[in-house]
Amino acid sequence: MAITLVPAPRVAPPPLAPRTARGLGERLAPYAYIAPFFVLFAVFGLFPFAFTFYVALFDWNPIGDQVFIGVDNFTRMASDPRFWNAARNTVSIWFLSTVPQLLIALLLAHVLNHARLRFALFFRMSVLVPYVTSVAATAIVFAQLFDRDYGLLNWLLGLVGVAPVDFVQSTWGSHVLIATMVTWRWFGYTTLLYLASLQAVPRAVYEAAAIDGAGPWQRFRHITIPSLRPVIIFTVVTSTIGGLQIFTEPLLIAAGAPLTCGAVRQCQTLTLFLYEQGFGEFEFGYGSAVGVALFVVVVVIAAVNYLLSARIRADR
Amino acid sequence: MTLRLPTLLAAAALVLTTACTPGTGGGGGGDGTSFEFWSFAAINQKLSVDAYREKHPDVEVKLTEVGTSTETAQALTTALAGGKVPDLVLIQGDNLPKFVQQPQNFVDLRTLGADDITDDYLDWVMKQSVAKDGEVLGIPTDVGGMAIAYRTDLFAAAQLPTDPAAVSALWPSWEAFIETGKRYKQATGKAFIDNAATSVFYQAVNQVSEKYYSEGRDLVYDRNPQVRAAFDLGVAAATAGITAGQTSFESAWSAGLAQGQYAAVAAPSWMLNTIRSTAPDTAGKWAIAKIPGGAGNWGGSYLAIPKRAKNPQAAWNYIKEMQSPQGQLDHFVRVGALPSTPSVYQDEKLTSRQDPFFSDARIGRVYTDSLLGLKPFYIGPDSATIGQEFLNSITNVEQSGGNPATAWDDAVRNIKTAIGG
Repeated sequence: MAITLVPAPRVAPPPLAPRTARGLGERLAPYAYIAPFFVLFAVFGLFPFAFTFYVALFDWNPIGDQVFIGVDNFTRMASDPRFWNAARNTVSIWFLSTVPQLLIALLLAHVLNHARLRFALFFRMSVLVPYVTSVAATAIVFAQLFDRDYGLLNWLLGLVGVAPVDFVQSTWGSHVLIATMVTWRWFGYTTLLYLASLQAVPRAVYEAAAIDGAGPWQRFRHITIPSLRPVIIFTVVTSTIGGLQIFTEPLLIAAGAPLTCGAVRQCQTLTLFLYEQGFGEFEFGYGSAVGVALFVVVVVIAAVNYLLSARIRADR
Repeated sequence: MTLRLPTLLAAAALVLTTACTPGTGGGGGGDGTSFEFWSFAAINQKLSVDAYREKHPDVEVKLTEVGTSTETAQALTTALAGGKVPDLVLIQGDNLPKFVQQPQNFVDLRTLGADDITDDYLDWVMKQSVAKDGEVLGIPTDVGGMAIAYRTDLFAAAQLPTDPAAVSALWPSWEAFIETGKRYKQATGKAFIDNAATSVFYQAVNQVSEKYYSEGRDLVYDRNPQVRAAFDLGVAAATAGITAGQTSFESAWSAGLAQGQYAAVAAPSWMLNTIRSTAPDTAGKWAIAKIPGGAGNWGGSYLAIPKRAKNPQAAWNYIKEMQSPQGQLDHFVRVGALPSTPSVYQDEKLTSRQDPFFSDARIGRVYTDSLLGLKPFYIGPDSATIGQEFLNSITNVEQSGGNPATAWDDAVRNIKTAIGG
């Protein structure tokens, strides 16, 4: 039996011109499909971003002269007590909001992950309600709860004989107020992140630990926390970056002096300071310089995050 | 539900067309008779626009109430920097200097014939809107004047007189005003005024002959004894225990006003509208007394035409008619804003006007009297910032437990940081 291999008849190549036209079109098509995002990103994201660095080198009056002054805006910022005050406030509010928020979320996630919890879906969904409430509405309601003269909280304090506290006008009070709002808004979201990654932990591990005599605290300490380590680092970093950008809450609580968050800038955050300089005083150059400084801080934190997560991955 | 692609495309096209066609709808299209007007919210500007349109039915006026006076100035700055500008814009006096510093952004109203009418206005008010080379950038629409509004029922409860003349006699000076506050506090246990910063300091510092700048336009805020005296009065009021610690215009301030938490409040003429709308239930319980410490002014606004306006002539026609002495007098009768044109100060319509909300006070006379003998001072580009820092420092003493002994030095240091001096 002889097998004859017959080469397949060659297909004549199609005429040259149409092929290149179609080929070019096909090669470009994917770019056209993704173009809308990248064009918008370039116009509304990349360009303003790059332009901020440029403006930061100028004394930039939007309706007057624009004078190149090099790094003067940055040296001015370094010696500006208002900048450092805003930086301190930002760190303080970040700390007061992140620590309780992550602790609450951790405990809640642990509880919501419990095998015998009834109506688990209902509870898991309802922790998200504060997250979907508008920030402005949250700020207005909390400002009223914490009001000095007519607030519910001070009324309750009054029942036990405590003199009314002026939350907005005092430094620590305003920080607590803002941190409460931030915690309220984000704890549900963080809880769900933790819960999602807890569900990947096999139930058998918990059952085995229980059989070996581990109590609830030990199971939390030795199973829940270690298995959440990567996501805990992730949430610490995201809430830190979010904490650096707290803006709406301080803007809305001190209606008398919104841009400084009170008479002595007691709760003015860095982003609010940026806004005050840029769009209250219209010192675009100085405001941009503050923006650049914020950007540098965020990049440093993101880098730390990258190194930490890389180390955790290496440990496994 | 299914949406077909052509429908979607049509919708998208519609959105794009609407978004990309500037100046559609209303006036402002560049036809020369209609114009676009930016004003503040809550000052009843619409009444004047309606009155104008009644006389000129062919003119379309697109009125936008941008927000507070500060927000309007911010929106204007943004628009001047590269957006669509209105044909006519209202600028509050405190915000004006920054614009006067950059006259290239506005139409020099002399080119439209402003020289014929500038003499109609109080000269010290008119001067504020004239740039360094004599360009006339704005026409003053109103002035504030000064007075004290007080609650007659609360005064009676504290065994204080209630008749305006007798009440005015209680406080020839600010020191006497603070003493009256102490008497009130002693009798009732309640606060006398809303806050020290605006009701005392901001009033007193507007009664000076020289404020933050000297006659020669140099900064003197830190060594002007008149400013220091006004500041010390503010601190004295803040530490006398007579204030409610309510920052003006905050929601708790409004609630306090409606509930009689404090018995008196500083009231330039435009404040009457605020009291009326904030506390409508207190109608008839208020009266108006003279301001302690002499003549002065707080507030007042200007109308200006941006350089890139499409319909400068139509906007100017509006200014000329509505801001004439007669036009301002009619506006006063409509909404109570005090005219900036002294020729109508003796007019029967102004002097005889009584306001039932304020126990039939003759508001025209009270406020024009407070302007008599006023010594004008220069308001510079940093005046608003300086005033705000002084205000903040007094509020800090009053509400946040700041040290009154260092308040002045703190304020001066903060001002130096803020204005880079």
